[in-house]
Amino acid sequence: MTESCGKCIPCRAGTAQMYTLLTRICNGSGTMEDLELLEGLCSTVKEASLCGLGQTAPNPVLSTLKYFRNEYIEHIVHKRCPAGVCNLEAPVEVQA
Amino acid sequence: MSDAVEVKTLVIDGRELSARRGQTILEVAQENNIYIPTLCHLEGLSDVGACRMCLVEIKGSNKLLPACLATVFESMEVSTNTERLQKHRRTILELLFAERNHICSVCVANGHCELQALGQEQGLTHVRLPYRNPELTVDASNERFTIDHSRCILCTRCVRACAEIEGVHVWDVMGRGINSIIISDLHEDWGTSSCTRCGKCVQVCPTGALFDKSKIGSDHPKYPDFLPYLNLMREAQ
Repeated sequence: MTESCGKCIPCRAGTAQMYTLLTRICNGSGTMEDLELLEGLCSTVKEASLCGLGQTAPNPVLSTLKYFRNEYIEHIVHKRCPAGVCNLEAPVEVQA
Repeated sequence: MSDAVEVKTLVIDGRELSARRGQTILEVAQENNIYIPTLCHLEGLSDVGACRMCLVEIKGSNKLLPACLATVFESMEVSTNTERLQKHRRTILELLFAERNHICSVCVANGHCELQALGQEQGLTHVRLPYRNPELTVDASNERFTIDHSRCILCTRCVRACAEIEGVHVWDVMGRGINSIIISDLHEDWGTSSCTRCGKCVQVCPTGALFDKSKIGSDHPKYPDFLPYLNLMREAQ
């Protein structure tokens, strides 16, 4: 987001919006609509951006959505971060 | 003697057309009454391809190209209004509406705004994205005009009009990314800048970001049509 030059709209405003949506999901206030919105937004930023920066900026989001979608859903539905990274509720620790 | 005209034939939305070499897709489409939505493009100014509204699909290429900059080539097949393009155009408009504080009901350009018109035309009924509501300033230091950054869409038409047509280059973009902002001179007040008060930027501004102070609270249509005429007369001299 801070790398965007600001010339074209999809990259300038799109990456900022992606960041807002991701933050919302990560702090537990995201909804399933946000997830859909994020996916749609990523495809526009990827396809409509002027240069290679905007065209590749959504890639990490898209690949995590592809391979770790359950973690996104876990954040949204159960307000829980399976990886223990986000500042939600601490994940349930398994005692040996 | 003029050079021989090299003719390219191409297909736009299923219509077979011919064009001169070096013409852009947008020029050919407009000559043949095929509508492609535009925002940062303005007849008489150079093109930057920044707004991404005029993106078109080219058969055989996965990339979308801006019609205002992409030149024609032999037997290219262009689609200007596919579902994919409509989706992107609506998202881009949503991004613009959510980026700054666009409140049509209190805007001088209400009813004469290109952003508003595009939103209506592209069937934008609501904005799904969260509004950013940035705190932006208004510079009313110029005795004739005002710039309200809340309504600016950073199309850079004013920058180009000032640099290319008026030749003063008062306007420029400061900062980067989402923090970009239009500035006069080296971020000085517009009133004390090197501005010549010609008002060309006000006429080319697609929204109510630049407006005439005498028009506050009234209809404020813009007339950017003088540009191609002005260019033509200058070339003739």
